Amino acid sequence: MILELMIALSVGAGLFGVGLYGALSQTNLVMIIMGVELILAAALVNVVAFWRYLRPDEPAAQMFALIIMVVMAVEMAVAFGVAIARFRSRGSVEMEEARELKG
Amino acid sequence: MTGMTAQMVFLAFFGVAAVWFGIVVFRTRSMVRSALALLFSQTAIGVMFLVMQAEFLGVLQIMMMATEMSVMAIFMVMFMMDPGGMGEMNMTHQKRLSLWVGGIGLLAALAVVLLPDWGLVATSVPSAQAQAEDLGRELLSRSMLIFQSAGLTILTAMVAATMVAIVPNAEQRK
Repeated sequence: MILELMIALSVGAGLFGVGLYGALSQTNLVMIIMGVELILAAALVNVVAFWRYLRPDEPAAQMFALIIMVVMAVEMAVAFGVAIARFRSRGSVEMEEARELKG
Repeated sequence: MTGMTAQMVFLAFFGVAAVWFGIVVFRTRSMVRSALALLFSQTAIGVMFLVMQAEFLGVLQIMMMATEMSVMAIFMVMFMMDPGGMGEMNMTHQKRLSLWVGGIGLLAALAVVLLPDWGLVATSVPSAQAQAEDLGRELLSRSMLIFQSAGLTILTAMVAATMVAIVPNAEQRK
């Protein structure tokens, strides 16, 4: 059983590493969002693995997973709002060109 | 094959699929392929939840991510300079630094996985129906405030995203 927990947590670690690389290496806002989504997915996998293998009798762990899903949805909604505003004002969502926060 | 071994095999298979499709997201030049790869990665994570007997969360993850990634694909086609990846445009920067940071992040996370003594692990979980019941009770009792705050946060984010995205009236009249 401990091996299943290790596998799930290692998948979380892998997703975290890939997401971190993506969020730092991409210049496009939409691609950066994808990296952040992968990092949050890593947290989600870890929380569900902890629930399943350490405290399956505790529904609060599933509650944490729901909160992470909410954070994923909110992050995407706000980031796309920013992307639309940025595209309208500058005609691009390339972050290399975003040197200031002023719209 | 015992139940536990089968769980381990499926967990490893879908875990590798999730990480592999996560890598494909940043390897392919086509943005539509990127969005689809992320969709497959998130779906593999949803299937992992099903393998871990978290039925509600697994189904929720697959349904939510299918919608989310479809929206993301539309945004990519709208906003990317080269959505098909036909123009050989380079959309990356500080690649070496990112690889180092990603690698160090991965190793640090793996160390956190391998070093602690996790103690005894549970062999059985409540049935799907009992899980849904327990979660429902949790949401409407002890975690009610957190649940309500999450709802309010989504509402605020929806309003904020719309306010940021719409063209102000004064600008429209110009």
